[in-house]
Amino acid sequence: MIKQNNSPNDDVIPVSHHGAVSVEGISETPRKAKKAVVVGLPNSGKSQIFNNLTGEYSIVANYPLSTIVVKKGQMRVSDEIYEVYDTPGLYCLFIHSEDELAVRDLIYQERPDVLVLCIDANLIKQSLVLAADLIELQIPMVIAINAIDETSRKGMWIDSATLSQITGVPVVESIAIKGIGTNKLKAAIQKARPGRLPIHYGDMMARGIDTVNSLLPDTIAYRHKTAILSLLSDPFLDKYLMDNCSDDQFKKIREAVDDVQGVFKGNLARTINHKRAEWVDSTADKIIKRQEAFTGRFSETIARMCRSVIYGVPILMSIIVATYFLVVNVANWISTEMENIFWAPVRARLDTLITYPFWNDFFIGQYGVLTLGVAGAVLTVLPILSVYFILYNILEDVGYIPNLSVLSKRVFDKIGLSGASIMPMVLGFGCKTMATLTAKSLTSPKERYITIFLIAFALPCAPQIGLNMSLLGKAGIKAFLITFGVLAAIEAAAGLILNKIIKDDDKDSFIQALPAIRMPNLNAVLKKTFYRLFWFLEEALPAFMYASIAMFTLEKTGILKIIKILFQPIVEGFLGLPSEMVDALILVIARREAAAAIIIKMSDNGHLNFIQTIVAVVLSTMFVPCLAHIGIIVKHQGWKSTVWMVVSITVISVIISGVLNWLLYLIF
Amino acid sequence: MKNAMEIDEYLEALWHMKEDGKDSMAELKAGIGGSFSPDIIADCLSEHLATVSDDEQTVVLTFKGEERARRIIRAHRLAERLLFDVMGMTKNLEEGACEFEHVVTPALVDSICTMLGHPKESPQGLPIPPGDCCDTAATTIESSVVHLTEMEIGQSARVAYVNCRKDHELHRLNGLQIRPGVTVKLHQTYPSFVIECEGSNIALDEQIANNICVWREKKYASKPDEPKVKKKRTFFGKGLGLFSKCKKC
Repeated sequence: MIKQNNSPNDDVIPVSHHGAVSVEGISETPRKAKKAVVVGLPNSGKSQIFNNLTGEYSIVANYPLSTIVVKKGQMRVSDEIYEVYDTPGLYCLFIHSEDELAVRDLIYQERPDVLVLCIDANLIKQSLVLAADLIELQIPMVIAINAIDETSRKGMWIDSATLSQITGVPVVESIAIKGIGTNKLKAAIQKARPGRLPIHYGDMMARGIDTVNSLLPDTIAYRHKTAILSLLSDPFLDKYLMDNCSDDQFKKIREAVDDVQGVFKGNLARTINHKRAEWVDSTADKIIKRQEAFTGRFSETIARMCRSVIYGVPILMSIIVATYFLVVNVANWISTEMENIFWAPVRARLDTLITYPFWNDFFIGQYGVLTLGVAGAVLTVLPILSVYFILYNILEDVGYIPNLSVLSKRVFDKIGLSGASIMPMVLGFGCKTMATLTAKSLTSPKERYITIFLIAFALPCAPQIGLNMSLLGKAGIKAFLITFGVLAAIEAAAGLILNKIIKDDDKDSFIQALPAIRMPNLNAVLKKTFYRLFWFLEEALPAFMYASIAMFTLEKTGILKIIKILFQPIVEGFLGLPSEMVDALILVIARREAAAAIIIKMSDNGHLNFIQTIVAVVLSTMFVPCLAHIGIIVKHQGWKSTVWMVVSITVISVIISGVLNWLLYLIF
Repeated sequence: MKNAMEIDEYLEALWHMKEDGKDSMAELKAGIGGSFSPDIIADCLSEHLATVSDDEQTVVLTFKGEERARRIIRAHRLAERLLFDVMGMTKNLEEGACEFEHVVTPALVDSICTMLGHPKESPQGLPIPPGDCCDTAATTIESSVVHLTEMEIGQSARVAYVNCRKDHELHRLNGLQIRPGVTVKLHQTYPSFVIECEGSNIALDEQIANNICVWREKKYASKPDEPKVKKKRTFFGKGLGLFSKCKKC
């Protein structure tokens, strides 16, 4: 179906375990390849279309912000090779925040040969606003109307032929999640052509646009659209103009823009928006036909229940309880069985084969490459993550997660966070690194700082939740409740304190589009789980091996013993944990899951009692953010702030865990 | 009285100049046009409404003058809002509003403002100076435009306008198609507001919901421009006849 191009230029994409890539890493494309950029509103199915076109895999989730960096892949249609870019969501080309800027910058820099506009059939009008903007760029374009199955169920029929007639570009209907329409879309991409937009802004406006346009030098891309954007006072455009014009040219452009704006007396944006709204309304009227009678919208009802306090809280609780039992009972059972079946006999066999003590230790000792590196990753951690990821991916696919932002709004108010930071925080339960990236969209520095700090602090990410659940489950549900209660209390306290310390500024407002609840697609869930586990193994297996070698070396050289003695007063005295915990804490820095594997082993061997399990989990959840995460924080906040954040989090985590140890000791 | 009206015109012109950051006498002359008379300027000076620089090149409003200009501008722009939104007038807005501004009492202006839900901008996008009623956010008058926060759950209504202080919020809402003329349905008010608009569900905080003003009755959702508009048009139709004298504003 889809052929991968294996040219030497086929970029090795520096992937995090989400498969997303920073566009900076992209090298020059082969001369022959054309560039196609997939654009569309948030959550319109761009990633799924990208996957269908390229045969690669970019994480697909039923919520906005799931793609936050540009990803690139290749597609071959007959003899033509295309570089395909997957982009974060975009509402219009007039930019208000930095995350949207990435997409426009990509278009301006790469000057694509084709734009693939992905439209969610449920949101025709919203998408037409973007379509109008993109048509003005005069780049050859194709429109893919996605999720057409959902609208037909809702009694809506979309006349794609008429849309094609109105816009003058090929329009393809698709159900991307099932791969329907992919071949037609590929064929249409070859027939892409610049669209037409019959909007007349009026003679005065047209003259103004032409005047500015004529002043723009050839180095400026898409001059007509750029002229319009500059008249609208796009806050991010000036930098682009300054970079691509001489000072003199820039001054002249600015003067011309001021002149035209003066004529319209602050009315300019209104006039343009009004004309466009008219076009959007009339086009939508022509292409959308509605049936009068159709079956009720069951998914709507479910979505509403998830958001309401009366039903939503019990639903959330039951999801947590179900996850707990599946992870604790099913995943732990699989993990134990796999160890018994696969690892125990192999280990026994190797033990008799490798008689030289050094090598015996190296391979199958406590920190052996095979014990910790392979068995730890594959047999202890993988089953737990598999079960947890399947559940998490179902929730993601259904579109449940953004609805949580509605429920948790009041809680966030209390700790000084306006609604805008809810989505990044909620996404933090998935991957803290990705969540930190989305926090970029917050405009208030205070909120951004608090959000990034709280994400880095006591918020457990998906693997942590899964592994913590499994570990705490061994100590009983009481341990689970205490631990997660303590973590929640720590987050709330940290939020309250930071809110008091940091000076107030303008709060961000909360405007969050909520995705429709969908039935989970089994195929998509399994595929996503597979990729998430595959990326985990790809990254974690070597990390586990290096970690085991490092631990082995530390132990053999006696350094580990010295470290243990040095930290004994803190670990054994203050935290009340066995000295083996030092091993886990060292491993936390390398790979959180490796530390979890050690702690699970300690628990299985009966080295941790009830209190110790709780303290160990609380400590390892907070202790030092993971390396990828630290990297992102540095990008956002700079070195100084990051070092301060990491050190304070680490110190506070030890203090809190110590206090918790003594409190639990008093109570139980 | 005639003189007072003329002074009002001058004060209004000076307010416009102030909005554009200008203060030259030449600008004022251009703004007033052919009928410019130094006598009126002299009157303004004697009433302490404006001050002129020594070389007579620049002219600015005094505090007293500014207060008076502010009242006129407020009445003018609210009148435009009324004619545009409620009467559905698109032409001769300026003329109607021009006469209007001189005949209404401050109390009546506040009533209109309250009825319209304390709009912040004229139909041309110029700022409407807030009055006392805006500060207290009065709602006592039975208003036909209400804030989204005052709607009932399950109710649908047509958006009258969106009052956002920040540009990016307005753009964001516009991108989600929350703009004047569209119908929204309120689904939920707690823990946050959830509305349905053009097929998508959107969660909002209370402050944003408060900034979205909608027409009260449900019939406006399905049939725009119907009964109420007609009724009022006859009432004001009479008035508009009177106003048509206005020549220059």
